Amino acid sequence: MAIEERELETIDINVNVGPQHPATHGVFRMILRVDGELVVDLEPVIGYLHRGAEKLSENCDYRQAIAFQDRTEYLAQFNAELCYVIAVEKLMGLEVPERAEYIRVILTELNRIASHLMFMGAFSADLGVFGTLFMYAFRERERMLDLFEEISGDRMMYSYFRVGGLAWDVPEDFVERTRWMVKEARKGIADIDGLLTENEVFLARTRGIGIMTAEQAIDWGFSGPMLRASGVRHDLRRAEPYSIYDRLEFDIPIGHRGDVYDRYMVRLEEMRQSARIVEQCLDQMPKDGPIVAPDLKRVLRPPAGEVYMRAENPRGEYGIYLVSKGADKPYRLKIRSPSFCHLAALRDMTIGHYLADAVLILGSVDIVLCEVDR
Amino acid sequence: MSAAQEHREPGAKEAPIVPPPPGSIADKFKKVLPDVEFVANQGVLDVIITVPRQDIPRVMRTAKDDPRLAFDYLRCLCGVDQMEQGLEVVYHLYSFKHAHNVTIKTLLPSDDPQVATVTTVWNGALWHERETHEMFGIVFEGHPDLRPLLLEEDLGYYPLLKSHPLAEIEESQEEFLREDGKQ
Repeated sequence: MAIEERELETIDINVNVGPQHPATHGVFRMILRVDGELVVDLEPVIGYLHRGAEKLSENCDYRQAIAFQDRTEYLAQFNAELCYVIAVEKLMGLEVPERAEYIRVILTELNRIASHLMFMGAFSADLGVFGTLFMYAFRERERMLDLFEEISGDRMMYSYFRVGGLAWDVPEDFVERTRWMVKEARKGIADIDGLLTENEVFLARTRGIGIMTAEQAIDWGFSGPMLRASGVRHDLRRAEPYSIYDRLEFDIPIGHRGDVYDRYMVRLEEMRQSARIVEQCLDQMPKDGPIVAPDLKRVLRPPAGEVYMRAENPRGEYGIYLVSKGADKPYRLKIRSPSFCHLAALRDMTIGHYLADAVLILGSVDIVLCEVDR
Repeated sequence: MSAAQEHREPGAKEAPIVPPPPGSIADKFKKVLPDVEFVANQGVLDVIITVPRQDIPRVMRTAKDDPRLAFDYLRCLCGVDQMEQGLEVVYHLYSFKHAHNVTIKTLLPSDDPQVATVTTVWNGALWHERETHEMFGIVFEGHPDLRPLLLEEDLGYYPLLKSHPLAEIEESQEEFLREDGKQ
């Protein structure tokens, strides 16, 4: 055989995208087997951030457990807190005052915008646009974090919601400041839109990779933007409304192909819908009123029972399964985190793609390692 | 007082079983699976159906395939340590077609915590069952890969069981610190 016709012998290489890696969005390990640049097998290894939040929550009372929710979902803290306090309120049959409900929803939706802005920044960093879009996204996010810091005292771990309402009232200039901030956020979203949506390079890199059909997505337990990008118009705020979402008008954006580009588009459009929700709430909110349910004891003892409360977090369906035996501490607090369910399907999404696409597919899942590991 | 001790106190209560209103998902289950003996309870948000463990594979397969039930979405799968009564496995299901949901539970004896896997029905159960196994010791028969997911390989105990203490570890740490301070 002539020298030119002899083929090179090739073997598959194990690439360890290790726990410490700038592209894995946290302490997450992917063991890839690649044939050249094509991913042949993938094994996600998690658990580097497991702190036993569920066991710890069994050892503290219902008010202290709110802090664990912040630390579990550290980019959409208000969403996680809202799910937990509504779970306890449903167990106790509590009714929350109007003003507290509106403030909760405003903060939750602002947190959704902030979380999606973080996604825009981190995803563009995965693409290779290291600083530019990150800074645009964080310009708006910093304004929101400043507002949250002024309200709750903390930039990231708020622990501001309480069972029955809020810890204390918002500052006096809250309404005007939030209105201005939403206007600025819309400009920021338009900036990001202009930079990425019709960008040739972005389209070439994200179209057609990581595809999940609707049936596959439902089978794997997808929820949130991952499910909506695959074409299922399902949003927990509409399907199983909680708090005051049944009074608010908003659209549910969906994608059609279930690829990485659709996930980006769904999140971009969701930010606009969240801005719409915040503006409606600011108009409808009562000017004053109590912010916590009356006659609440210091130490809460919900009646014996159980509840599975689910909320629409920026990442998907966040579920709190709470079992109470009448004591002042939860008997079992199970956190159903959306990123956990999405990562289980990472192997199916990535096999057959190139190494560079594997990083983008992981980025499009928008994981938060603390909620994967708890 | 450790958390485990407190729950054995006389204050620990069980919620009364309230039968769900007629026309609920429990009636649909009875129609589709008339020979399965189950107990239906109207919980706070969902109807809770307790099924004996040998019926789990049939009930889950029928719940997904039967067009009247069409539970194509497994929301969550977890375990609860009910101490004297045994270990409980809780499945939360949702149907996109009919927009109804249900919670299915089964009780396993503590000395033989085995139940059939549901990974053949929903792919999403893969990681949930792995986590429940490493936290409670529940063995899911037929699961392709029951390696530890979040915990280290040879931990030696199942952390989320009530018999595994949390507060006692804290106490022993305090003693250690106190002794250290004395010296």
